[in-house]
Formats: sequence, C-alpha cells, structure tokens
Amino acid sequence: MSAGALKVTPRSPLLWVCAVSAAAILLHAAQVYAWITIAGLVLVGWRLAAAFGRARLPGGTVRIGLGLSLVAAVFAQFRTLNGLAPGTAMLMLMVTIKLLETRTRRDQYIVIGGALFLLLAACLDRQALAWVPLYGTDALLCCSALAVVAYAGDEALPVPPGLGTREIVGLAGRTLLYAAPLAILLFLFFPRLPGHLWAFTPGDDAMTGLGDTLTPGGITRLTASYAIAFRVRFDGRPPPPAERYWRGPVMHEFDGATWSAGRYSPGEIQRLNCLSAPYRYRVYLEPTFHAWWLALDTVMASPAPDVRYTDDYQLIATQPVSQSQTYDARSCAHPQSLAPLSSAARLADTQLPPGRNPRTRALALQLRHRAGSDVGFIRAVLTFLRTNGFSYSLTPPPLGPEPIDDFLFDTRTGFCGHYASAFVDVMRAGGVPARVVTGYLGGQLNPYDGTFVVRQSDAHAWAEVWLDGSGWTRVDPTAVVAPERIDHGILDLLPNAVSASARIVHAWPWLNATLQRWDALNGWWNERVVGFNYRAQLNLLGDLGFHSPELRDAAYAFGVALLAWLAWISWQLGREGSLRPRPDRLGRAYARLCRKLSRIGLPRPPHQGPLAYAQSITRHRPDLAPQLGPLLESYADLRFGPTSAPTPDHDLRKFERSVAQLSVRRLQPR
Amino acid sequence: MIRVRKLRERVREWAAEWARRRQGPDRLPLTLARRRLYILPTRAGVAFGALLLTMLAAGLNYANSLALLLTFLLGGFALVAMHECHRNLLGLSLLEAAAAPLFAGTTGNLRLTLGSASRLTRRRIQVAVANEAAVALDLPAGGRGEAALPIRAPRRGLHRIDRLRVSSTHPFGLFRAWTWIHAPITLIVYPRPSGALPLPADSGARSGTHPRSTAGADEWLGLRPFRDGDSPRQVAWKAYAREAPLLVKEYGSAGSPLRQLSLDAARQPDIESRLEQLARWIVAAEAGGDLYSLELPGQRIMAHRGSDHRHKCLSALASYGS
Repeated sequence: MSAGALKVTPRSPLLWVCAVSAAAILLHAAQVYAWITIAGLVLVGWRLAAAFGRARLPGGTVRIGLGLSLVAAVFAQFRTLNGLAPGTAMLMLMVTIKLLETRTRRDQYIVIGGALFLLLAACLDRQALAWVPLYGTDALLCCSALAVVAYAGDEALPVPPGLGTREIVGLAGRTLLYAAPLAILLFLFFPRLPGHLWAFTPGDDAMTGLGDTLTPGGITRLTASYAIAFRVRFDGRPPPPAERYWRGPVMHEFDGATWSAGRYSPGEIQRLNCLSAPYRYRVYLEPTFHAWWLALDTVMASPAPDVRYTDDYQLIATQPVSQSQTYDARSCAHPQSLAPLSSAARLADTQLPPGRNPRTRALALQLRHRAGSDVGFIRAVLTFLRTNGFSYSLTPPPLGPEPIDDFLFDTRTGFCGHYASAFVDVMRAGGVPARVVTGYLGGQLNPYDGTFVVRQSDAHAWAEVWLDGSGWTRVDPTAVVAPERIDHGILDLLPNAVSASARIVHAWPWLNATLQRWDALNGWWNERVVGFNYRAQLNLLGDLGFHSPELRDAAYAFGVALLAWLAWISWQLGREGSLRPRPDRLGRAYARLCRKLSRIGLPRPPHQGPLAYAQSITRHRPDLAPQLGPLLESYADLRFGPTSAPTPDHDLRKFERSVAQLSVRRLQPR
Repeated sequence: MIRVRKLRERVREWAAEWARRRQGPDRLPLTLARRRLYILPTRAGVAFGALLLTMLAAGLNYANSLALLLTFLLGGFALVAMHECHRNLLGLSLLEAAAAPLFAGTTGNLRLTLGSASRLTRRRIQVAVANEAAVALDLPAGGRGEAALPIRAPRRGLHRIDRLRVSSTHPFGLFRAWTWIHAPITLIVYPRPSGALPLPADSGARSGTHPRSTAGADEWLGLRPFRDGDSPRQVAWKAYAREAPLLVKEYGSAGSPLRQLSLDAARQPDIESRLEQLARWIVAAEAGGDLYSLELPGQRIMAHRGSDHRHKCLSALASYGS
C-alpha cells in the first residue's frame, strides 16, 4: 500500500496528532533533559496503544496525578518554572498529557496548537540554518494534521472516504508555499520593536562564552566547544596572528583560587595614544547571555550607545547579548596610555589575599629583588616559566588549596588560565600592578566570505601589567611555554584537547573547505535573516527610498505589498479552479494568432472555424490573404488533419514560429 | 452559559433574516456567487488567531527573526486557508432539492443534488436544513453528488422548507464559509395512519364511482410512471414514441370492492383523528387492491386506485384545512 493510497479514517486524526506531538518532542530532544523526552514519548506511545486497543486510557484522577507529578519533576529539575527551558519542558509534558485525554476534535486542535507553540519555542531557542529544514517539516506536519482533523470532522458527521495522505500533505504544502511570499513581506516590513516588551532571563545552560570569573582550569569547558563565538570582517588589512587577541572580561580581584571582575571603581577613561594604524572591522557576535561585547585588543571606543566603554577597555552592554549582534569597532594594536595610573587603580591591581600562596609570594619577592626594574622582573618571571619544566596541557592534574603554589612548584602543567593567573599573582606579589584579561586568541579566515571565525575553542587568558611610561602592556605567559599557541589554533597544539569530530574536520582539508562554505552560508543567514532587526529594517526602508524611515513608512510599504499578495492569491486560486481547461500548445498558438488578428479589428467570432475565418479575412482584407490563408489552413491541418504526418512536432513548431513572426497592421483610413 | 447560547442563537437568526432580505428568494438550479457567500473564522480559527498573536508578541519581544518568520508563515497560511475555504463553495450549484411525501411521525429524506463545474474536487460540503445537523459530501471535479438530509415530520400538513444552509470548513477547519438558500421546497406530510375502525364496507351501489370501473374484466385504470420491475408488455410504447416519459398502463381486476371514504365515515372524536383514520383506510385499501373514493368538505376524489390516486387522496388529507 503506497502512501498515497492511505485514506482518512476515523482513526487518522488521532494518529496524525500523535505524530505531531512526537515530532514536537523530538525537536527539543537534544536541548532538554533526557527524561523529559522519554516521558513525552512514553505518553505518546500510550495514547497510540490505546488507539489500537492495546492499552486503556488513564482516568481523570490518574491524569491529574500524572500532570502534577510531572510539573513537580520539572520544578525539581530547574528550580523554577520561569524561562524558556523549563517552559519548553512544561509545554512538552502538558501537550502529551492533553494527548492522553484526546477524544474530540477540540482536543486534537489543542494538541496541534501546543505542537505549534513548541515549534515556536525551538525557533526562539535555536536559529541556526541547519535547523530550518526541520522547522519547515514540522510546520508542514502540523498544517497537514490540521487538514486531517478538519476533514474527519465531528463525530456527528460521518467521515467521507477519499482524501489521501499525499493529497493532504500536498494541500498543506501548497498552502504554506502560497503563504511564503506574504511571510517574507511581513518579515521585511512588519514594524519591529526597538526594545523588549518584557525582560528575558535565560537558564544557566544557555550561557556560553566567557564567564565573569576565572579559576585556573576553568576554561576547559569552553575550549572543548567548536561552536562559533563571533565572526569578524576586517575593513582592509587584517592583523597578523600574534595580534589577534580578542578582549573580553577583565579580572581584578583574586581570592587565592578564583579571579573575578571585582569591585573596581570606574576611573576616568584614559585616552589611548595609538602607535600604529588602527584596525577597522565589523563583529557578528553570537548570543552569549553575558553583557560583554568582544573586540580586538585594544578597542578605542564604544560601538553602540547602550554599550559602556570601561576604563580597562571592556565593552559592557546594558543588556545581556540574547540575540546575535553586529557592530563596527576600531582597535589599536599598540596603544600607549598617556596618563599615570591612579593610586586607586594601583591599589586595586596590586591586591592579593593575605596569607595565600606563600611560596609564590616568596619567589616573587626574591625575583623582584634581584631584577633592577619592573621590566627586568617580568623578564625574570618569564624565564622562570620557560626554564623550569613547565608544560602546556588542557588536562592538567588538579590543584590543591593553594593553587598558585601547587601549580608553580609542583604540577607545573597547565594552560592559559593557569599561566595567566600565576603570572599576575607573581607580578602583584612583586608590587607591579597587573590584571588578568580573558578573551579569545586567534581566528580562522573563511575564504568563502572573507570573515575570520573565532570559536569557543579559541578562548584564552593573558596578563596585563602596568609599566610606567608605556602604560598597560599585554604579557602572554602561555606564549613562553607554548609559543605555537599564538600562531596556531589550539587544534594544532593539542589535537586531543577537543572533540574527535573537530579533529577530523581539522585533519581533512576538503571537509574543512566544505565546512567553511557552510559557515559562509551560515554567516549570511545569521547576518541577513537572524540579524534582521529594528535597525536593519530602518536601513532597508532607507534603501527603498523612504528617506525618513518611520513606522508609518513601514506600514505603507507593508500595506501595498499585502494588497499585491492578496491579488496574487486570488488569481492563483481562481486559476486552479477555473472551468476552462488550459489549451494545448497548438491551441495556445492559435489563440495568440486570433488575438493578433483581433487587435487589428479582425476578431474571430466564436462559431467560426479556421477555414471560414480565413474566408472572412480574405473578404475584409484581401491584402492579408496570402499570409493568413496558408497559416489558418495549416492550423486546420494540424488540428483536424490525419495524424499520420511524419513530423507533427516539426509542423507544430513551424506554426508557432509563423504566428510569432506574423506582423499585421490595421488598415490606415484613407 | 445558556444565556450565551441563546444570544448566539438570536444573532444567528438575525443574520439569517438579514441575508434573506438581502439575497431575495432563490430559484433552483442556482450557482453560488461571491455575493452570497459569507465567511467567518470558526472557533478553532479564533484560537489559531490568538495563538498567532501570542507568537507575534514573543517574536517581537525577543526580536527573534525565526520566530517572526514562523508566525508570519502561519499567518499567511491562515489567510490562504480562508481563500481556499471560500473557493470550496464558490461556483457550487444546487441543482435540485426534493423530498418525497411522508407520513407524520416518520422521518424521510430531503434529496439535494449538487453540481460542481470546476476542476477542483470540492470536499466536505455540508448541507443542512436551516440549523439542523448537516450532512457532508465530496464532489468530484466537474461532477455532481447527492445528499439525503434526514427530515422529521411531526405534524401533517404542507410544510415549507424555507432555508437551506450550505457550508464548508475545508481545508483546515479555521474558517467556515456558508450561504443560505431560500428556495421554495414544499414537503407534503400525510396524516399519521392510525385509528382502529375497519374499512367501510364495499358499497355495491357504486354510485359516484369512476364511470369506467364497470367495464369488462381487466379494466384499464390509467398510466403511471415506470417503476423498476414493471413488465415491458405493460409499457405504453406509443406514448413513449411521442417523447413522453416511460409510462406503464395500469389495469385492475374487475369486481374489486369499492370503498367510499369520507370524513363522516371516520367516526373519531376530533378532526385530526378522523384524518388519521382516513389515512389508515387509504393505505389499507390501496394495499388490498381496492378501489376507493374520498370525500372531504368541498372536495371529492373519484374512486380509483394506484399510487397516483393514493398520493392525491393523502395529499388532500395533508392539506385539509390549510
């Protein structure tokens, strides 16, 4: 039995509704806890089994008990019912419990509505291009289910046989296809909001990217991720690999184990003196749900009014980055601070927790004492790191209660977080103002769209020390231990650090090239579709010639477009149901000929055949007879003559050509 | 709840009356034109609209392009669905509507013949008498279909079915397109056959009977329409040759009893009971192959038999007093 032969039966709506629920659950399977997916699928299976008489549906008490216990389970899991992730989980379970009591058409509509809402939740959650075909399929499934439920109708009406599955899917698909132009029009012109109607707090799971604290060893979770952090397009020359430091959160406060931003009184922003030509670039930042906007070190100004430019050169937005952001920035690779360090800043950046990491403190005092200057001290510490058997590893042994001491004197194995922490700790112990900067190092050029892709695996931490005369100076102690980290990604350095799939991609150039193309396509998607926001809409309206882009203009543009679409739909649907069958090729060519003649005042009366038409033309316009006589005769031959002609296709084409070339004029009145 | 239902009932009635004034009386066959097609969202459609509004609010709030795109796609879907629903009825023809006479207290069928001159298969066309339960049917492209609407006849009389409703929620159940048709359809409801009185005795006098009834053996009774199972020998071929419909010559056997039925003969307490008694007699006499006449105040039907005669007599009872 082929798919097209399946008919709507009294059971069909329920089967479709089950399919819709299962699809909606699977859409979220990778994002929610496994038990939620499993619980949802079990409930769908239960309803299916009941439909086939293999199980009994639960009574009202059982359903209510089941519902309450699942709500409690969700609450226990998330500690809240507020937010996208717990809300989605709740909706998944509610839809499937509703499915259990689905009997009437109304229940079935409710389940389909719930499934559509779950689709919306998926859209809110994930907007990558790769998901779009799945979303489309799910929408088609939901719409088909609507058709099935509507067709099967109420219990009061018997199910008329005849509508096949293929026809149903075709119907829903065609309707969605007709709706697509409107969807695009609305997408472009429907007025967007410049802000939010209500606030939006993501769960902890949604947080990606760098955090606001740094524990030596804490960046591992990030470096294992191959996800894109942001993409950058340089206007002009890109910086060399050694200058591709992307500045993120800056850490000032250390409690002996963990670095945090700390309470750092915002001082006056010191103007930077740029010793080299600044880089200009545009950043496409993926959502991080943190407030930091990443920029090349050292950024020179805030790219947007609602983003604060701090005196330690961070960009901190007023809202967490909950959607992808695009911004233009300017950075200086060799900045010089002109003003001296304020005493408050000097105090904050030489603070160390008293009594912690005593061996480190002793080492720092010893090295500082031996070195003549701050620069000499830095050099000595770096030499210490280079010459004492330190090694780079993303899987270092765990550290004890005095982590810096343990690291510097015992394990001597670690990665950027360890080196930056230890280095800054030593600097401060030696009296030199220093801070930890976290961010990213590197970026891979995608040759297909010219952007640099910076991934989470490029996350990095380095140190900044204050040198009188030149100001804050970047020192990357990791580079001393593993200089290759600067020039290459972490993949070249430590191939085992990241997941197997990322390694495979890295090892096979053609796969890498394919992925780069895919990344480029994704970049377009993220920039043009996902990133189409209030500002982009105003730009579009400006490009279209609305010179004072306001909501009113958007409304006008939209109204015109809506009318055009409505006319198109009416025409299209009317044509499908039109009474007259579409004529064949010969008929169309003949109709073209008749139209040409009717334009010069020789219309063919409906009752006239081609030969009679030829005669009447000869009577009215004898001058046209030599041209039109043979033409109309050949039509009569083709239409009514014997079909044994050796090349009917050739003759037909000849006729079509003659009609196309025919040029007749209206008789000029004398 | 009841009040809401009542209010809805009243609004519906008001709308129907408004449509009747607006459309004027109809004559069959008729083809549904745009002017008389109405369309509104169903309850599911309203809920779908609310769902879309929620989705729109979420999409706008989070400035989430994909959510907005989905919302707009579904919004467009609903609009196209509205057009498709409207088109499902547009150009549909109601060719015939007829109901066979029936006895009071029984149910019969109103047979509707619908035609579709379109390349579309029209699906889930629901037809109903006024606000009664609907019957659904599918019409093939360019074809026709029949629907039998069950009708109940509680009282005898000439009933006018004065409003038909043709509607459809196909394809997605989000919208209901409908029209009212106000074609005059008369339903004849015979009195319910009842009463325990025996048939009046054969009146030997044969006064007032059909003059030809005394003729020889197989007396000729008349022509009636052809029915399946009739012998070809009885067909009135000469009449058929004159392009008349296929008719059958009816003969009766001589010497059938003659029953003179009248309102007075049916001795029952009230007029309705008398009519019911008469109806029962007519049915019994016809079944027994008797000749029977009917006399009502101001009306006299000569003795005869056959289905036409039966119908004539029962119809006279049905319309008595109206």
